[in-house]
Amino acid sequence: MLAVAGLCKAFGGVRAVWDVSFAVAPGEILGLIGPNGSGKTTVFNLVAGALAADAGTITLDGRSITRLTPDRRNALGIARTYQHVRCLPHLSTTDNVAVAGLYGARPAASTGAARRAARALLERVGLGWAGGVPAGRLTVAERKRLEVARALATHPRLLLLDEPLAGLNPAEAAAALDLFARIRDEGTTLMIVEHNVGAVRSICGRVVVLNSGEKIAEGAPEAVLADARVMEVYLGERAPA
Amino acid sequence: MRGAAAAALALGLLAAVPVLTGRSAVLNWLFLVLLHAGIAQSWNLLAGFGGQVNLGHAAFFGLGAVVARILWLDGAAVPWALFAGVAAAGAAGLLIGAPSLRLRGAYFAIGTLALAEILRITFANAMPEVSALSAAQLGDYALAPRYYLALLLAAGTTTVAWGFSASRFGLGLAAIREDEDVAAAIGIPTFRQKLLALLASTVFAGLAGGVFAYYHLSFYPSFAFSPIWTFDALIITFLGGVGTVWGPVVGAAFFILVREALALRLAELHLLIFGVLFVLVVVAFPGGLMQAGAALGRRLGAPARPAQRPQQG
Repeated sequence: MLAVAGLCKAFGGVRAVWDVSFAVAPGEILGLIGPNGSGKTTVFNLVAGALAADAGTITLDGRSITRLTPDRRNALGIARTYQHVRCLPHLSTTDNVAVAGLYGARPAASTGAARRAARALLERVGLGWAGGVPAGRLTVAERKRLEVARALATHPRLLLLDEPLAGLNPAEAAAALDLFARIRDEGTTLMIVEHNVGAVRSICGRVVVLNSGEKIAEGAPEAVLADARVMEVYLGERAPA
Repeated sequence: MRGAAAAALALGLLAAVPVLTGRSAVLNWLFLVLLHAGIAQSWNLLAGFGGQVNLGHAAFFGLGAVVARILWLDGAAVPWALFAGVAAAGAAGLLIGAPSLRLRGAYFAIGTLALAEILRITFANAMPEVSALSAAQLGDYALAPRYYLALLLAAGTTTVAWGFSASRFGLGLAAIREDEDVAAAIGIPTFRQKLLALLASTVFAGLAGGVFAYYHLSFYPSFAFSPIWTFDALIITFLGGVGTVWGPVVGAAFFILVREALALRLAELHLLIFGVLFVLVVVAFPGGLMQAGAALGRRLGAPARPAQRPQQG
């Protein structure tokens, strides 16, 4: 559904993303992995439209979205979460989600309908108790779940999750992975940036590996994680015998 | 619904004042409150609800005032003169907003500040003479129509503010105020929404200017562009409660009451007092008088039960 070809983005002289191409198939969970600073979040920003690409094309279902603003891309079905959580701190937790439901790909008919849908989504991510609380009062782990609910409220077809497990304890991480699998089963395609290799192995059908802004490997998690170049990037070169 | 009933009652009482009393001191005082409520509320529409700080609100107030004044003194009917002033203010708003609201950061604040100062200096040079009513116009002068116009202004802006607070558009604006990147990422057309809110804000600022021009017997055109109109609106809004529907109205009543009381005895000292009050409100009560009132109400009534996190299992 999503195709990225020859994507480039430089910040000053730093090539953050260089000539990256990949495709996302409908209904899959694609992992985007690589060391810190390898360009994963920049790829997300380029796909979601928060950054404009220097070169390359991004197409969604055959239609070029390379030059569209982030709100237009969201209306076409691309939603995202942030690595460093970002909520609307002075709005209630319910309204954080409701406002997304009033815009997004399939806007709700009324604020009342959006708030009802928001409460159901909050219930689903385990924040049902927090509807009336200003989002700024939630813990980081709670805000991560709020971000997922907010993104889902826009009715995405492609959901970009940027390190959704960072900072969660093992029980919370397991619950989150379970939720992501169910979101996929309901028909939303997922792209996940994640450092937790165990999680990537368990949930991603396919992974793309970035290093220094370039794609160095792509394929099934088992095969890619065993790849010599990937091992080298993560663990360093094998010492000479 | 209780809020709407209370608002309708207040509106009815205010509308009855000119019938009940012929005392011009009362009408003048209420006129000032309503005019300031209107201009503060118009500033609140964009800055309070949308988080876009306009430091040149006087530009739009002044355009509304000067355009309406020239046409009115030239013989145009008052509604047409006011409409032309409103159109000029709205056009200026679109002109400054179209480039500067595309950018993030201080560009919009600095752009509006510069616009107001440029207009003030230009009008001081181009129209240095005081604008005064003719003897015939002075003979016809009646306070009640001015008062009703100011009431219409305050009620109109506050109705729009209420619409912002309760609607999809208003929630979208609030999201832009909270985090513009997140707002765009959930599908809100941020530039278009900011520009529409600016249009509403500047149109009402222009109407406030027109009401001022219709009210005053004489003023220097450049005075209508004085930064005082921007900063009074800002202080009133913060005192009352920025981003709330009733904050600018409550703030205006408080502001005019204190200003008139102090000005009688202490001349310009009220400026210093409002400066200190402004700092106190921002530090201690960022929600202004509305927040203070709500806090007091909670203290007197039963405390609300805070939401509880479920126990970790």
